Amino acid sequence: MSVFTAYARTLAAIAIIALAAVFALSDLRMASWEALESVFAWSETTVFGYIGKTWGAAFAIVEALHLVGLAVLGGAVVVGDGRLLGLWFNDYSCAEIQRGAQRGFFWGLTILIGTGLFMACGVAMKIYYMPVFWYKMLALGSGILFAYCIRKPLLTAQPDQLNHRTLDRFFRLRR
Amino acid sequence: MHESFYVYNWVETTHVLTLTLSLGLLLVIDLRMLGLAFTNLPATRLAQRLQTPMLLGFALMFLTGMALFYAIPVRSSQSLWLRIKLLLLLAAFINALVFHKHLRNAGPDWNNSTRAPESLRRGALISIGCWVSVVICGRLIAYDWFDCSKNPAPLISAFIGCITDQEQF
Repeated sequence: MSVFTAYARTLAAIAIIALAAVFALSDLRMASWEALESVFAWSETTVFGYIGKTWGAAFAIVEALHLVGLAVLGGAVVVGDGRLLGLWFNDYSCAEIQRGAQRGFFWGLTILIGTGLFMACGVAMKIYYMPVFWYKMLALGSGILFAYCIRKPLLTAQPDQLNHRTLDRFFRLRR
Repeated sequence: MHESFYVYNWVETTHVLTLTLSLGLLLVIDLRMLGLAFTNLPATRLAQRLQTPMLLGFALMFLTGMALFYAIPVRSSQSLWLRIKLLLLLAAFINALVFHKHLRNAGPDWNNSTRAPESLRRGALISIGCWVSVVICGRLIAYDWFDCSKNPAPLISAFIGCITDQEQF
């Protein structure tokens, strides 16, 4: 097995980080940000933007549902990662716990993104100029990539799909 | 907290983050009772194992909530949404007591089945309803639609205890 096959996911992750670094340090970042202004301005004119800006109560309730989505996501992460850390359910296999946790993670994320898009449309130009919003999006993107491109494949893979270095860790987790 | 530029924000953020621990784990237990999550695990064992971290989350949430109240005491105590939230918290607490009583009386026969007995499912639904409403009311506290300074309707004014010409902070 060549080094490219054995560490394909690791190499892909390094490539993505390198591309992100180039993007962040070059003029491309500022050019992309400026190009996105029209998208954010347009999103305020959509139905979601209109509802969000006109009915404060609707916006507030969607904000609350965003928090409920966060709770669902958090519950799934705490249960699943608590098992990976050996904090609870050690008499059950990781695979059994992860099956339920991944479903909760998916639905929590779906609620978060759905309600988040609605809220973003209501205050699009405000958040466009907020650095914290972009940090949050960066963290969210990294979290989703980690969860679905690294964590999930690793936990659901068959032993022959993993290289020998991760295999030991894999069997420790599955016990 | 009232004077600091950052402390209120940090305490508020912690209050929201404890949702993931307290409400998140409560939802896991309630959804298991309804047969919608972790159906491969015995329901009572799941509830027992998650009880301690969930209560830890609630304790942190209570402490940070008290700190947030303490920072803006007059406005908070005269908030319509905070008063409704407190009533909902009381309802959720009573429901939790009834739920645990039913859990003890239900026996072990149903433990591995997908759905819990009807009394527990009802309790789980009420719990979800109460807590989602608590979160909605908590979010609405930030809005000033029914604040005393906005001269709300007499009935609301009486319910939230407005005092004429009282200074707010």
